[in-house]
Amino acid sequence: MRLLQVSLRTLLLYSLLLVIVSIPISFLSISAILNHEVDETLEMQSEQFLKHVKGFEYLEDLERDLIVLDQLTYNVHIKPAPGATPGQTFETLYIYDSLEQEDRPYRMLASVVQIKGQPYRLTISMSLVDNYQLLNAIGLVQAVLIVALAGGLLFINRSLSRRLWKPFYKTLDNLKAYEVDKNETIDTAQTRISEFDDLNKTIGTLTERNRKIFLQQKEFIEDAAHELQTPIAVFQAKLDLLMQQPGLSESAAEIISRLENTAQRMSRLNKNLLLLSKIDNRQFSQAERIELDALVREHVVKLKPRAEENGLSLVESLKPFVITTNRTLMEVLATNLLHNAILHTASGGSIFVTVEPGKLEVSNTGTPLQSPERIFDRFRKESSSNRGSGLGLAIVKKICENFGYQVSYAFVDGNHTFSIRFPQ
Amino acid sequence: MKILIIEDERELVKSMAQYLRQESYVCEVAYTAGEADEKILLFEYDCILLDINLPDGNGLKILETLKAKQKTDGVIIITARNSVEDKVVGLNLGADDYLAKPFFLPELAARVSAVIRRRHFNGSNRITFHEIAVDLLGKTLHVNEQPVELTRKEYDLLVFLLANRNRVVSKNAIAEHLSGDDAELLDKFDFIYTHMKNLKRKLADAGSGDYIKTVYGLGYKFAE
Repeated sequence: MRLLQVSLRTLLLYSLLLVIVSIPISFLSISAILNHEVDETLEMQSEQFLKHVKGFEYLEDLERDLIVLDQLTYNVHIKPAPGATPGQTFETLYIYDSLEQEDRPYRMLASVVQIKGQPYRLTISMSLVDNYQLLNAIGLVQAVLIVALAGGLLFINRSLSRRLWKPFYKTLDNLKAYEVDKNETIDTAQTRISEFDDLNKTIGTLTERNRKIFLQQKEFIEDAAHELQTPIAVFQAKLDLLMQQPGLSESAAEIISRLENTAQRMSRLNKNLLLLSKIDNRQFSQAERIELDALVREHVVKLKPRAEENGLSLVESLKPFVITTNRTLMEVLATNLLHNAILHTASGGSIFVTVEPGKLEVSNTGTPLQSPERIFDRFRKESSSNRGSGLGLAIVKKICENFGYQVSYAFVDGNHTFSIRFPQ
Repeated sequence: MKILIIEDERELVKSMAQYLRQESYVCEVAYTAGEADEKILLFEYDCILLDINLPDGNGLKILETLKAKQKTDGVIIITARNSVEDKVVGLNLGADDYLAKPFFLPELAARVSAVIRRRHFNGSNRITFHEIAVDLLGKTLHVNEQPVELTRKEYDLLVFLLANRNRVVSKNAIAEHLSGDDAELLDKFDFIYTHMKNLKRKLADAGSGDYIKTVYGLGYKFAE
């Protein structure tokens, strides 16, 4: 759930609650006020009526006049009520209106009064229809208010999230797209909100620091590999000289030979590390048109004797494919894939090399790997063989990443298959 | 034959000089670009071994100076960078060869010998050793004036051994020389053994002496 939706939901809930509670409260209080007002009016009318009737008490046939009055008036009724005790009662009644053909609400004051010493029941009533209309109007206004409030909040929220939070989402998108090894710096625009500016500044500093550390690290790896070349060269040279010593015993010769093998491994490992970090640092341009099939054929021809010495058959199917890329890295790519296949295929196995438009595939017979998902990892070897630097496939992957080629590994029908797809 | 080694790593210089001196080369050393500039100005060398990364400057500058002065010294660039760009730039500036650190001293000797021979072309470009004569231009071998058919690998092997006369050459160095990076794939050096056996047999059949000696546990040595 988005941050704004959470705050909106709370606000909306609170406003709705308030409005819903306010409807009965305002309805009840207004109707109470109206009733009170009506009651006061009724009381006043009743007092006025009695005052006027008192003024006519001298008339002989007042009783008959009262009967006539009762018959004539619509709102005022007065009838003799023998034995009734004096008092006042208010009530709300529904009386059938023949004109409108429906029950209509009335407020009625019934009081027992003394006229000429005789008890009479005086009832004065007043239509409440107008008051009810007023209440309905108030209810309607409240309902409109709810809709306006909810709609307004939603609208404001939406335009807020579009406008106010725009820099935030922009920063978020930038962060998502950020890759420490690719982007130069993260793009943070100035906003009018101090919190966002603060956030952007912090992110900018953070990413910049990470990038610097990353670059230093990359540089360090390259420098380290580079600096190691000279001591290894000295070591190798001293071994070459040591070999020239007269009177070396057989065991000493054996040790020197082993040392030389180790020096070779160090040298190869280091060269591969250097190459890996060089590709990482993008020191290779991509501006040469290469016939990939011819390049691969060259390597296949060169390596066929090696494969045959190891008891392997190397079968190629090369169709013309021209690609604009870096020749050196393509040679490294082909060499590493072929070396890997030759090194890791058991005697009697086969290696197949295919080049088609948009695709290079090298596969060799073998048994399934324990963890194929880690095949491109550095220094990942499943055999205990000393041969191979453990970096060949990592370099293949790095080259592909660098140029945007898709490299994949699969074990299909007893074949380890590496395929590289080139964007056409 | 005079060789100038321009390289700041003293231990490496010592080893290179010691190895090359056995070939009766005279080695001089410059540890900085400044020293190198002086020496190049004053003397002629048959071969200059040039490290590109020097404490006081880029070795490629020295190469430019050489070219500007139209010196004909053969130059082999030596670098720890092993980068194609350096190689291309160096060769374009007129370097004769390029060797990446670390390298085998026998490989260095073979390259130096090839550069010197190429420059001292004058008529015949041949290596001779008693009855053995190798024509580097035609890539042919004559033993007692009779032609001997060699495969490409056997020929390379013989030239390599001849450039390292009287010195032990390890199997690793031979494998690297013959197959470059693919040497990684060669297992028990059966490969070298086979080529060596064939070469020795062909030489013996042609009436040559047995000069290629097996040094147990290490490699081979071409000697009297």
